[in-house]
Amino acid sequence: MSRDERYDVVIVGGGPNGMATAAYLAKCGLSVCVLEERVECGGACETVEPIPGVRIYPHAMLMYAAPAPGFEQLELHKYGFRMAWNPVDMMKSLTAGNTTTQGVSPITEKDAMGFAKLGGLLGQPPFTQELMRATFWCPPHPSEVEVTDENTPYIQVYKKYQPDVCTPELREWTMFELMDEFLESEPFKVTMAFAAWASGAAGHWEGVAIPALLSVQLLILPNTGKLSIPRGGLHGYFHAIHRCAVAHGTVVRTACPVDEIIVQDGRAMGVRLRETAAIGGRKIWANKAVIAAVDYKQTFLKMIGREHLDPSFIQKVKDISLKNGTLYVTTYHTRKPIQWNQRYKAMQESETGVSGPAKVASGGVYPSDSRELYYENVADCDARKSLPTLPPEKLMWFLTPSQAFNPTDCQGQYRNGYISAAFEVNVPVPEYQIEGIDAQDKEKVKLDDYMRKAFSQALDGLDEENIIHCWSATGREVEFRNTGLIGGTWCGSRHCRDQSWTRRPIPELARYRTPIEGLYTCHQTTGHPGGLCLMAIPYNLMHILIEDGIAEPGKWWYPSPYYIPQKAKVSAIPR
Amino acid sequence: MTTDDYFGHMFQEFPENSEWDAVIIGAGPNGLMAAAYLAKAGLKVALIERRYEIGGGLATEEILYPCYSSNPHVIYHMMVDYMPVIKDFNLDGASLLWIKPNAQTAMVFEDGKSLLLTQMIEDTKDSISKFSFKDAVNFGKVMRSWRRIVDEIVAPATYVPTMTPIEMSMALQKTKVGQEMLELIEQSPLEIINHTFENDRVRALMLYASCMWGLDPRETGIGFFVPLLLDRGMNKCYCYGGSHKFASAMGRELVKAGGLILEHAEVNKIIVQNGRAAGVELAEGRTLRSKVVMSTLDPHTTFLDLVGAQHLDKDFKALIDGWKYDKWSFYTLHVASEEPPRYKCDDPWVNDAFMTIFGIESTEQLLAHWDNVVAGKIGANFGGHATCETLHDPHLSDKPGKHTSFFQMHAPYEIPGGWEKKGKEMEEAILAKWQKVAPNMKRENIIMTVHETPVDIETRFPNMRRGGIKHGDYKPIQLGSFRPNQECSSTRTPVEGLYVCGASTYPGGLVLGGPGYLGANKVAEDLGVKKWWKTTPEMERYIKTYLT
Repeated sequence: MSRDERYDVVIVGGGPNGMATAAYLAKCGLSVCVLEERVECGGACETVEPIPGVRIYPHAMLMYAAPAPGFEQLELHKYGFRMAWNPVDMMKSLTAGNTTTQGVSPITEKDAMGFAKLGGLLGQPPFTQELMRATFWCPPHPSEVEVTDENTPYIQVYKKYQPDVCTPELREWTMFELMDEFLESEPFKVTMAFAAWASGAAGHWEGVAIPALLSVQLLILPNTGKLSIPRGGLHGYFHAIHRCAVAHGTVVRTACPVDEIIVQDGRAMGVRLRETAAIGGRKIWANKAVIAAVDYKQTFLKMIGREHLDPSFIQKVKDISLKNGTLYVTTYHTRKPIQWNQRYKAMQESETGVSGPAKVASGGVYPSDSRELYYENVADCDARKSLPTLPPEKLMWFLTPSQAFNPTDCQGQYRNGYISAAFEVNVPVPEYQIEGIDAQDKEKVKLDDYMRKAFSQALDGLDEENIIHCWSATGREVEFRNTGLIGGTWCGSRHCRDQSWTRRPIPELARYRTPIEGLYTCHQTTGHPGGLCLMAIPYNLMHILIEDGIAEPGKWWYPSPYYIPQKAKVSAIPR
Repeated sequence: MTTDDYFGHMFQEFPENSEWDAVIIGAGPNGLMAAAYLAKAGLKVALIERRYEIGGGLATEEILYPCYSSNPHVIYHMMVDYMPVIKDFNLDGASLLWIKPNAQTAMVFEDGKSLLLTQMIEDTKDSISKFSFKDAVNFGKVMRSWRRIVDEIVAPATYVPTMTPIEMSMALQKTKVGQEMLELIEQSPLEIINHTFENDRVRALMLYASCMWGLDPRETGIGFFVPLLLDRGMNKCYCYGGSHKFASAMGRELVKAGGLILEHAEVNKIIVQNGRAAGVELAEGRTLRSKVVMSTLDPHTTFLDLVGAQHLDKDFKALIDGWKYDKWSFYTLHVASEEPPRYKCDDPWVNDAFMTIFGIESTEQLLAHWDNVVAGKIGANFGGHATCETLHDPHLSDKPGKHTSFFQMHAPYEIPGGWEKKGKEMEEAILAKWQKVAPNMKRENIIMTVHETPVDIETRFPNMRRGGIKHGDYKPIQLGSFRPNQECSSTRTPVEGLYVCGASTYPGGLVLGGPGYLGANKVAEDLGVKKWWKTTPEMERYIKTYLT
């Protein structure tokens, strides 16, 4: 007897997008199977413990997803979802300012008010959730609909609550232009622009001003103004999604890499597993749909036979740009805590109220002097595509907020030294690297040393004596570990105007449908809005699966108020 | 004004207070099993885990970060053939695949000679016959009887409530196999091995395989472990996709049956009201009230830290105070390498073996090494066992074609000069020893190393106190109906509504799947819940022969 299996829907990839889609579809009563190639599901939502008692978060660290309808629709609280709330108030830590080579640059009243206004805080009541949902949790409009100021979701929200934000150029602006209008201090703007670059939509890209700025604001505002994390890190958040999927009957298979999406007569029929897969059968058939919750390269350039796709489509797929850089992440294990040096004491002191032994440096972008400096860094990474040529004192880096505030987290409890927050530097995507794809791997020791020098410009405790261990991963190592993080890019393909919203990543794929019937995409590299583990792609994809008659959700479902149904399809708006 | 005034929380969290039928502390193999059985029986079950991930010792983690994973605790699954949970939840096949290599345990010597313990008896006899024809014949003969002892008595008894030693010896008198087992019980492992085999190297292999999980080779009263650990040592399984897959599979069964798992949730206190366990309080402030509480933790943690001495009577507290942790722990060196270790020896099958022992040249040396460990030392005479995990499971290396292996040895919890210093020294000493038998284990071949000391084991799993993987030593007064003591070995405890079902409860540790199964049975009986599972045919035969 054949040991092959059959389900309504087969999902390739057990990261946050694949699993949340499984949860949605299983809740609709469909039989669903998720196939994950690694030994553990979670994708970028992962926690590792490389030394007992030391937990590090190689990728997703912070909670961007708070406005997601998924919390309510999937009832994640029933599956153990909990937060670890940071006691530090955003307003207090914001007042500490931004770190420049000259010291801490204060944030002005105009900065704070402009930031609050753009984030939807000044409405009565605040309209942050509505604004965020409009921007990220709404499927792109159908191709027959022209995108205008009248139907761009975030513009409708501003019009309703904060009409003075709606300038005629809003949809054309770069984030810098937007900030020049509403904010004041250059270091604050540069900090935001750099944080956006690291989050996938840079400060200098045309026409993505609002999504870029809001991607940074997602971190803070919806979490009641605190940079807080789920209990157990983002893997804890993932667990709640995973368990919701399983509780509704999803079958999850780990250590089961997929080699091929089986296509017959232009239709996706199922998948063929690699011969090493940890399962009896080798083929998994799908009655209704195959969903590729893996990156576009694996989906279209590896798993589907070339004979099923036309060369013009293949060319477009190959041309998708990954140039939002690879985040090179470093975490240190030290004897004494790494702290801001004397010049930046204000940063260190901003975390008043944080208990626990590990008062390590937390959160900041350095150096944020000017946009010229920012452009120099962008040029090194995206233009020259080289190993760093800037002197270390000019290298821009991002220090994530520390998790040490949480006394139940290892990082707040660890006794044999201190665990730093994660340092992030943008480096070229390995395949674009001028010195060759393995340049970062070959030069890893030098790169680590160079970055240590850069971080030492503002921090104490990075001397060799004090460092017990340093964990870092190059773009290629990231991709080896987590195939979907192609080239080590965090958000996948660039969120520039040409690759976002109705053109993400190319117009043919914008509504999560593909040239193969019955095959849908569901990955940060292939759909709006992209990364950050938002449960947004699964929610947006649901609209499309309803349109195609695959998903029929119950009363718990509500679509985006800005969703426009496709002609001649079932509308995702319940009757 | 604070930002809380600007907006409320955008999402709902797991509630501060909740009500359950059963709250189970610790999501190791026993906690997962107990929870899954009870949830499927219709109870409202919450499983609470301190770590960020379920599984306890069923761990597969990227300790060689980035790119290389290992099974840092359980890797050799010895009871897969008997564990009821696998059949009851239908885990075999699609959910779990077990790899059981014929070449199970090799022992290689510096002169290039080797011994091989295989799943199939004739291959082992062939290997032994290189050293002693008589030992080969004897091995065949004793294994014939020892396998029956395991198959008919020890294995099924693992999943049946324990008896007192007197009841046990009366029961065993009933059959010839039982009488043979009684004879073995009275001897020490060393006596049994020396009595059975003449060649010293054969003796060394058998002694290592019998005692490696923490038996005192000279202790009498534990002789039945020799047939058990030799037979099971010839039937070790690897959980394909990593040991954690076993935990995940059970976790999903629990969730599918409506159970809840809370990770990153440390229990501060077991609530005791009117002498009855009534729930738990978490360090994060949440309270889960329940009809029963089941703890899979060690006796000190359960009774002294979580229940509190004020709820215990004096004699019972003395029993808990008297609990002894394992006599030794482990030091493990994990290695990522370009090539798998290739042993230079007289038998090519050694390179396929699941486990390879090296560094031990004689029984005298092995005993001296163990004596050192018990005395808190490690001498130049140490030896241990190694496994190349990627030979059996490519998923453990994210970089295609690269390998992960480990070497593990017995080690004391406390060491002169401290583990921070000794841990690094041992790396060099181990690699030097490894290279002697596997010449390609030189620095050029090695990509990365990480070592874990007994202190590290305790850091990762605080109830593996003093690095004790079994939550407490195996010796006659801590085994059978004395594990953890006569009041608790049934899984019930003197605190009504509180049950213990971890490795420190009968039948013990090493992922037997016994305590969790027995705990679930007991709770189901006490709460009057219908059991949806049936005893296995092996268990029924055992019950019929010995318990009626």
